[in-house]
Amino acid sequence: MANNPANRRPAPPLAPGQEIRSAPRRMTRERMRWYVDALPTVEADDGRVHRGGPTIHDDDDYAKAQGLPGIIADGMISTNWILDLMLATFGPAALQAGSLTTKYIAPVFEDAVLTSVLKVEAVEGLAEGRRRYGLKVWCEDASGKPVTVGEATVVIPA
Amino acid sequence: MALGRYTSDLEEGDRLGPIEVTISPFAVREYCHAVEMHQPEFQDSLPPMVPPTMVHLEKLRLYSRFCPAGCGPNARVHFIYSATWHAPIRAGEKLMVGGLVSRRYHKRGREYMDMDIEIRSAVEGRLLAEYRDTVVLAYRNEAAERERA
Repeated sequence: MANNPANRRPAPPLAPGQEIRSAPRRMTRERMRWYVDALPTVEADDGRVHRGGPTIHDDDDYAKAQGLPGIIADGMISTNWILDLMLATFGPAALQAGSLTTKYIAPVFEDAVLTSVLKVEAVEGLAEGRRRYGLKVWCEDASGKPVTVGEATVVIPA
Repeated sequence: MALGRYTSDLEEGDRLGPIEVTISPFAVREYCHAVEMHQPEFQDSLPPMVPPTMVHLEKLRLYSRFCPAGCGPNARVHFIYSATWHAPIRAGEKLMVGGLVSRRYHKRGREYMDMDIEIRSAVEGRLLAEYRDTVVLAYRNEAAERERA
């Protein structure tokens, strides 16, 4: 099973310029709903799922009243999809120490299809055989237009 | 000092917390389900690791605690997430979470607010994560709309 840590391979060395791309994912209304509900669920932390909203992420009328044409995705969904790709690429080492910055430069509307991308910008050798990767990260829509952009660092053990 | 009502009332220099927080395994699993991160570190490990993106929810926790009336007349729009994690955080660990409104500024007709958040181990005081969150306080650009009218 791929998710069993014992079966997960260490991250292969990557070279500057190399790009890693996720499978495309559609930003459905349901995915936006899951995130809206996760926030009060985590805050209440009582073992039950709580319903969030109304917000610009789940209620068309509310979004329109705020000057939007319809609901837009919470930017943190795309940030998490980028983190997911970092974990798929580098394994759990990415959780030990690192950084991630994402800027939401365009709204993500319902049913936009997003692909997350990591591009290796720099690889630095550290003590004890560790490597630090500097990455450009982004999510792009089906036309290739970036909607979320940023950078990340990951330190990988020998 | 502008605590106690709306987040849009917050002023540069306002401090929120620190407060003691413990993130439960349930909270980690629910959050990670919501964003489809099914890695065993989040779903199966006991205690699970807290994904570094969950620091964003600590901002919301501080908002709820110190600005209980909500966001104010306009919806807030998240603009930048910027986190550095120095060590892994595990569910169940006692944490101290504090925020500082580091900047409020206008750019191209919109108002922005930066909040800097630190997460420390409550036991040792060790810095575990730093986070800068930037929001647009209102998506609607009222100055531009007035010009168009």
